[in-house]
Amino acid sequence: MNSLVISNIRQRPLRSTISVIGVSLGVALVMLFTGLARGMSNDLQRRSSNMRAEILFTRPGSIQINTSSTNLSTKYVERLRQIEGVESATPVIRYFYPSGSFGVDQIEGVEWNDFAKMNNVRLVQGREPRQADEVVIDETKAARKHPVGSALKIFGEKMYRVVGIYAPESGARAKLTLASLQEILEAPGKCTYILVKVKNPNDQVAVARRIDQELPGNKVQFTRDVFASIESSIPSLGIFLRVLVGLAAVVSALVIMLAMHTTITERTREIGILKAMGASRRYIISEIEREALLISAMGLVVGFALAAAAGFFIHKTTSLIFEFGWGWALTAALIGLLGGALGAFYPAIRAANLDPVNALAYE
Amino acid sequence: MAAILKAENLEKVYRVGKVDVPALRGVSLEVQQGEFVAVMGPSGCGKSTMLHLLGGLLTPTRGRIVIDGEDLTAASDAKRTDIRRRKIGFVFQRFNLFPTLTAEGNLRLAERIHANGADDPDRRREVLRLLRLEDKMQHKPLELSGGEQQRVALARAVVTQPALVLADEPTGNLDSENSAIVLKMFQELNNRFNQTIIMITHNPEAAAACGRIIQMRDGHIV
Repeated sequence: MNSLVISNIRQRPLRSTISVIGVSLGVALVMLFTGLARGMSNDLQRRSSNMRAEILFTRPGSIQINTSSTNLSTKYVERLRQIEGVESATPVIRYFYPSGSFGVDQIEGVEWNDFAKMNNVRLVQGREPRQADEVVIDETKAARKHPVGSALKIFGEKMYRVVGIYAPESGARAKLTLASLQEILEAPGKCTYILVKVKNPNDQVAVARRIDQELPGNKVQFTRDVFASIESSIPSLGIFLRVLVGLAAVVSALVIMLAMHTTITERTREIGILKAMGASRRYIISEIEREALLISAMGLVVGFALAAAAGFFIHKTTSLIFEFGWGWALTAALIGLLGGALGAFYPAIRAANLDPVNALAYE
Repeated sequence: MAAILKAENLEKVYRVGKVDVPALRGVSLEVQQGEFVAVMGPSGCGKSTMLHLLGGLLTPTRGRIVIDGEDLTAASDAKRTDIRRRKIGFVFQRFNLFPTLTAEGNLRLAERIHANGADDPDRRREVLRLLRLEDKMQHKPLELSGGEQQRVALARAVVTQPALVLADEPTGNLDSENSAIVLKMFQELNNRFNQTIIMITHNPEAAAACGRIIQMRDGHIV
């Protein structure tokens, strides 16, 4: 590594540090937001994929990935069970609510025995919920200091007692009885959707068509489609992430441009010396670009460390989940380096174009 | 002896606002290889302008400069830079070392610019021994005396074996003792390596150390 580059960075520790922090913030921002988006969507997808039902029966518009309504009559359950090819059907209420810390949590109301049998979910500790104030949770939630017998606050100050822990994780991490959630939501006889398990998974298309014919005006979806790409189903998430990446690039470029612009002014005389020594324009530009790239590289390392620390902290203290993604890490690295290189380009050109005699006379 | 430098009828006019200010008014000069030439004259007579022209830092308004067979005046800016890199070493009154680099770092930087990373350790050792700088290589400029800094600057100028060293009042910032040491070094470089040197000076004692003295006045050689 060029010693002039390193010695210049060492010579101005405060400015170098500020530049590194500027780049690292941009990188950390990209990593943190994309990591959270990825973590949340993968978590939802993982839990959803454990559902064994092939068909989701709803009212039109009743279910989105982050909203739900309880407007489907549970009377459909019996009618669905009578349709040819259907093995079982069970109603579910899914409800989103703000969690105690930053984030959103979800809870489900189910008829436990039917739900567990259909989705191969088993209780690993305790028993199923029977009373209105009883809840079962999955192992991940139980690991967050919620053993069987502990109290769990779900709706405002209302306390629920953990009576069982189930596995594998499937849907919401906490489940009440269907009747309990119906009562809380003042929706007796209603649910959000009905899970339908078909006798032969190869016949699911035919069964779905049959359901549509016999119960028209409702929405029949395949669970494989609903949960295939949760990330892409969140409106504008992709645009949001791309805007974020763009902003990070602009921040990195501006920080480096400012730092290098000041550097060039301070080092005018030194650039004059370089020119007197026969340094070409390309050499001077490459020296400044190398310095910017080294600062950017340090910013990348600090940014990744910051993102990892922040992600860990968020994961531990909130219900949000942070997942590191190599694709976004590569994007963040490119953004940091390209931002730095582009930001330094104008100051580098300016330096290369300095008049050597004037530069040598600069005080 | 071969002429290492030929300057013919050099003129340089600066434009200051709307006024033309002539700095050189037709200077012709020929320097042979191995010559040690002093350029003297009062302030504003055009000495520094001539040095900058000979070093390719400025372009003349008229005239021609040939250094070691290469026409500086016909060259593009990039070509002039390249000629400067290969043929010329500068020594300045204010030393102009890189303060963040050690003495060795300053020398290596010159080698890197000159040869794109390739260096000549034998040449460097010889120059350092001649200038008595072997034990100063790990010092930064601010840790060195003025005389030592100027010797490092001189080493940096000659380590790449330039055809011509251009020195702009190299003893101007030194006391008499250090001036004498630095001048002796110039002489030793001139004798030992047959190094061609053109040195601007106000100091008659410094000029006396040279083989030839050129006097300038009002943009002319007199």
